[in-house]
Amino acid sequence: MAFYTLGLTFSIMIALTVAVLAIWIYGLYFNFKRWGLGSTGYQDELRNSFWLFIATWIHEAFEDGIWVFIRTLILDVFLLRRTLRRSPVRWIMHMTMFYGFLTLATVSGLGLLMDIIEHFNILGLAEGAEMVKHMTELPFDIFGYLLLFGVTIAVLRRLILKDVRDNTTAYDVVLVGGVFLITITGFYAEWLRGNAFLVGDAFASPIYAPHFSLIHTILALALFAVILPWSKYLHIIAGPLTILARRGGE
Amino acid sequence: MAEETKTESKPITTGFLSSTQLMEIDACTNCGECMKWCPTYGIYNDKPEITPPAKIKAFRDLMGGQHGLRAKIFGPKKLNEDEIDKFTYDFYMCSTCGVCGSVCPVGINTVELWEAIRANLVRRGNGPYEKQKFFPQLLYKDRNPYGGKAEERLSFVPPDAEVLESANIAYFPGCTAAYRQQTLGVATVRILNALDIPFCMLGKDEWCCASVLVRTGQRDIMREHANHNVDAFKDRGVETVLYACAGCIRTASIDWPRWYEGYIPYKNVPLSVYLREKIQNGEVEWKHSLNKKLTFHDPCHSGRHILHHIGKDWTFEAPRDVYHAFPGAEYVEMERSRELQRCCGAGGGVKAGVPDLALGMGSARVRDGEEVGAEIMSSTCPFCRRNIMDGRNAMGSKMGFADQVEIMAVLMGLDVAIPPNPYLKYQEWDDVLGDRICIKPGDLEPVKPDDIEGD
Repeated sequence: MAFYTLGLTFSIMIALTVAVLAIWIYGLYFNFKRWGLGSTGYQDELRNSFWLFIATWIHEAFEDGIWVFIRTLILDVFLLRRTLRRSPVRWIMHMTMFYGFLTLATVSGLGLLMDIIEHFNILGLAEGAEMVKHMTELPFDIFGYLLLFGVTIAVLRRLILKDVRDNTTAYDVVLVGGVFLITITGFYAEWLRGNAFLVGDAFASPIYAPHFSLIHTILALALFAVILPWSKYLHIIAGPLTILARRGGE
Repeated sequence: MAEETKTESKPITTGFLSSTQLMEIDACTNCGECMKWCPTYGIYNDKPEITPPAKIKAFRDLMGGQHGLRAKIFGPKKLNEDEIDKFTYDFYMCSTCGVCGSVCPVGINTVELWEAIRANLVRRGNGPYEKQKFFPQLLYKDRNPYGGKAEERLSFVPPDAEVLESANIAYFPGCTAAYRQQTLGVATVRILNALDIPFCMLGKDEWCCASVLVRTGQRDIMREHANHNVDAFKDRGVETVLYACAGCIRTASIDWPRWYEGYIPYKNVPLSVYLREKIQNGEVEWKHSLNKKLTFHDPCHSGRHILHHIGKDWTFEAPRDVYHAFPGAEYVEMERSRELQRCCGAGGGVKAGVPDLALGMGSARVRDGEEVGAEIMSSTCPFCRRNIMDGRNAMGSKMGFADQVEIMAVLMGLDVAIPPNPYLKYQEWDDVLGDRICIKPGDLEPVKPDDIEGD
């Protein structure tokens, strides 16, 4: 089944993806260099370089040894210990969003790779690639629901809790709303394609499936690949790097 | 005609910020957790712009205008001096207590961040705030912020007390105990003498720890003070330095090593840690019991600020263990304690720069103590004591305040009277066993074996 619409082809989509990835990588380089405007430590001179930031970060993250680094990585980055201490509800929200999003992104990347293999029949593995894509239906569903659960908590908190609502900025609305839209359109895209694990082909619609796939793809790429490094959403990258540099805080 | 705004091309400097601190600016998720705990926002709750996320956002915007993508393509945005002035004001409405960092989900080291940004504001000519600008002059002239004479720094030491010229152990009283809260100095000297601990003090060679300079972003003469004090300890062959001042031990443990050019051979120890060891070894002889309900205010500087440096036991448990050992005393814990304690409002230059804010925060802490029924609030920081007493006096509370060391000296039956000296008239304390009484003679009874913990 063809999943492309509005004249887009497989090759165009691959080219767009590469372009977006290039923008994303340059965005990271740009920000690392910007952070390199600082010094390597207290009272040191400024050097303004990409490598200065990398070297400073490595020095600080490993200052207490590799085991402290690993402990911080597991407890504070992967298990969000500091968030759990303050609010179990927020912890559940962040954990479901974090792992839902991360897994979906990984599985999507795998799907893209399988698409490429299938399209060009690389090493004659087109059939195998098709099978792998079918195997991803279950994780897509599970982690999709997980992400939906988390993002629903995020939306409800900002609607129901006054202090959270008062503190909500336009950035937060775009971020939470964007994730919500991406999740919902992702579900629609899967359902309309007719290959969702749980609902099967009950909602299959070959006419609308390509459109929803396109909307979902554009939203995901636009929000997290193009906008992320150039906006406040950079905290998604800077946050974990900070926890590691501070060895989990005090 | 539209109101003209001043514009200036002088950039915001990043000189005192490390590259990972610039990363921290981008790491804030604006989750708002810190706003629930911020003690200054608790007083000025109509000013959300003074809260940590707002300050970080403001600085991020300023940096973005100078170094962001737009600046790279179209050139840096001209800075609006009115906005910088507002930003500076917001930045100095903070006691740098660090509770925001303690609760931050991404572990931003906010104290270091605020201080570094303040240093850049000072370098640019925008900071410090109000009376804070006089600190460098005072410290440069007299080496203390009170205008006291160097040769009179030990004027609080009773003539019959034994203080050596050099010893393995040194006591660093700090400027406030030397010139403004001399009972604390007397009590410390008396206890060390009673425990037969040979110790020295730097006397006229003791310079201010210069905490107030670092906290307000004025680092120009910091190096002189750090080098001078460390060298003075080294000259005396000191191995352990005892501190009964939270601000001093914070600065000596964290800030001096950053400025001192060389190896520092001695270790810094909070006095409460040292006293706890003496109590646990059975070396302390109690003479009186205290029939009072008392609570402990954790100072930020000897708590959150050095928690990562010396650990929870030294920061939070040692002082509590000492209070628990006081015969007859009923210890009660305030709701906000240890790393989540509510700042008294004295630090970060707020006492000098924004006295109204300091007073409000001090009063809020007194209310915390009243809620748990404390008759005496105690601490291990003379500066906290000063501000909490001011807050208490402003609200007309009857709660007493005494330093941990002073109460201990009284319970050991030691004479804490200050000898005549030129600074007697400046003393700011609740008399322990005096007219403005914190502990009345009737509050004390001869100690009974049951009163002593562990007996």
